[in-house]
Amino acid sequence: MIFDLFVFAGSGTEILSGLLMTLLTWASGTALSLALGLVVSVGLVFGSRALRMLLRGYVEVIRGTPFLVQLFILYFGGPYIGLTLDPVPAGVLGLAVYGAAYFAEIFRAGFLAIPSGQIEAASILGLTRGQVVRRVQFPQMMVVILPALINMVIILSKETTILSIITVPELTFVVKGIGTRTFAFVETLLALALGYWLLVEATSAFGKALEQRIASHLTR
Amino acid sequence: MGAIKVVIQNLPLLLQAAMMTFILSLVATAIGLVIGSLICILRHSKRRSLARAGAIYISFFRGVPLLVQLLLIYYFLPFIGIDVPSLVAAVAGLSLCTAAYLAEILRGGLLSIPVGQREAGEMLGLSKAQIWRRLLLPQAVRLMLPAIVSEVTLLLKASSLISVIGVAELTRTGQNIAASTYRPLEIYTAIGVIYLALNLLLAAGGGMMERRFGLVRQ
Amino acid sequence: MNNETTPVSLETPHFSINQGKDHATATPMVELRSVSKRFGDLAVVKSVDLSVRKSEVVCLIGPSGSGKSTLLRCMAFLEAYDEGEVLIEGELLGYRDDAKGQRHRISDRETARMRRNIGMVFQQFHLWPHMTALGNVMEALVLVRRQTREEARVVAARTLDKVGLAAKADSYPAQLSGGQQQRVAIARSLAMDPHIMLFDEPTSSLDPELVGEVLAVMKDLAAEGMTMIVVTHEMGFAAQVGDTVAFLDHGEIIARGSPTDIFRDQKHPRIRQFLQNYLDRNAFWS
Repeated sequence: MIFDLFVFAGSGTEILSGLLMTLLTWASGTALSLALGLVVSVGLVFGSRALRMLLRGYVEVIRGTPFLVQLFILYFGGPYIGLTLDPVPAGVLGLAVYGAAYFAEIFRAGFLAIPSGQIEAASILGLTRGQVVRRVQFPQMMVVILPALINMVIILSKETTILSIITVPELTFVVKGIGTRTFAFVETLLALALGYWLLVEATSAFGKALEQRIASHLTR
Repeated sequence: MGAIKVVIQNLPLLLQAAMMTFILSLVATAIGLVIGSLICILRHSKRRSLARAGAIYISFFRGVPLLVQLLLIYYFLPFIGIDVPSLVAAVAGLSLCTAAYLAEILRGGLLSIPVGQREAGEMLGLSKAQIWRRLLLPQAVRLMLPAIVSEVTLLLKASSLISVIGVAELTRTGQNIAASTYRPLEIYTAIGVIYLALNLLLAAGGGMMERRFGLVRQ
Repeated sequence: MNNETTPVSLETPHFSINQGKDHATATPMVELRSVSKRFGDLAVVKSVDLSVRKSEVVCLIGPSGSGKSTLLRCMAFLEAYDEGEVLIEGELLGYRDDAKGQRHRISDRETARMRRNIGMVFQQFHLWPHMTALGNVMEALVLVRRQTREEARVVAARTLDKVGLAAKADSYPAQLSGGQQQRVAIARSLAMDPHIMLFDEPTSSLDPELVGEVLAVMKDLAAEGMTMIVVTHEMGFAAQVGDTVAFLDHGEIIARGSPTDIFRDQKHPRIRQFLQNYLDRNAFWS
């Protein structure tokens, strides 16, 4: 039972590139899913009956199935309907579609949380629909849903590890490779676990600070 | 259509795997509830070190991605000399992870139990352990039943990851069939539909449990 | 401002339930010596002395915030008193004095053992909502007295019958009225055969119509010789059932005596004011 701590010596650049890939997929996946989620939520709240049903179907399917299965459908099944993607684009797209469904629900809850009286008051004052959304609903909504948004962003950071299964060279993939090469599975995985733990704790702390900042900014 | 034919041919295998996934999730939840209750008790302990330990457990198992946790357990157990089939390692991994989330859920329930109920128990001579076991935890579980059912559905989806450590559950079975039939799109879509169905089943079961065991709060 | 010594007319009964009780000079059931309790900087109980004999019914009355409930909770060690001694049947409660005269808190187990002989009834009843009335009463019998479920069921059913709720044994607390819940709570304590029962404003949370049924049960208990210490706003109960009434104000007992002393022959202006306020609120025609 030998615990070899020097297993990482010489793999510095590899690990770094893996970390960068994790951050890249996380950032782009989050950005895309936030945008897509917002659009979907607008459709869910303001859209026609047909649109609402369609979007509701999308949200329920994505939220009701494992992310891994969705990735498999996209990456392995995609080519059969003409969508051949490299691992990284597939990973980012999969993350975006997955996250968007959850963000859509969060945004939707936010829209519904604003008392309707405020919307009516704004309309009577002459604001257009668009202005009401932008100036009245959106800012208040942001405060209410910020914790949920941050929580989901953290969840997405953890989901990036699943991308390793479709061979995206992010951190888990890289470290697993090192482990396989050196047969030092436990050391590498332990370090990996600690690394993610640190990342998540840091993001949580950052998120809490952000929440407090926004809250104080709006309660003046 | 050829697509439907492929799915129907492999349906028995898929449904068998689906049942395994379903039962596995329930078992992991049950074990997770026991561990989660213990962690909850730790968190409430008067002794700083115990409370800290509980908090660290929760932080670790919620912070580290489940995939990494599963891989760690899969390689760690043989490392310290414990040789178990991958299924056992998988259930252990899922249980430990869900325990952290359940501990937080139970904490929410515990906070809404008036402290006077514990005092009444103390006055009647019940020990701390008895108070936890018979008064506090049963109520917390009933109060938080919706959240617990929610957690089970999350666990059901997360169980797809144990395919990575070689357990022949629904996703892994799907991978095998997709590989042998060259029909990934159809098979994985079918798998998705089955997961959806399992979730519906869970929701229905959860609803039944809530009606039967849910607490009427005054 | 009325300066005459007009008796504050709270009707004192022509006969007292407590006549003919055994007033032997044995060890007091509950004894408080210079008991004090602070919450932070605030002294809530200030050096209180009290002695309760077997079968005596002591009623603690006084304005809100006077420390009545805190004092009662000190007797159960639900609050750890800071100074003085609380003796339950002659034994120091909650603490142990060692050979050097230093005070240590005793273990939870020890406190639980001493609490076996004390029963407590709370203002909010605090029944356990996931068990039936019978279940609530049985629980301690099984867990603490280690009876079998069958034995416990018999004792519990009998006790519920005693408080008039045999028919509601299988009901859950949410299905019971406040008065019924409080009676179940009394049965729950009673089933454990306590030597002393403490009541913390047992009827304060009840609708006025339901107060009577609870007081009736408490009256029966007193008549059977239970040692009771009751914090209450029900002056009628204190007058009719109490052996001793003690008036607390700002953490001190400023008057104590028989109901006649306190209610009819009261000279202390603070207490007269308090009683007058009570009458103004509760006597609805003169």
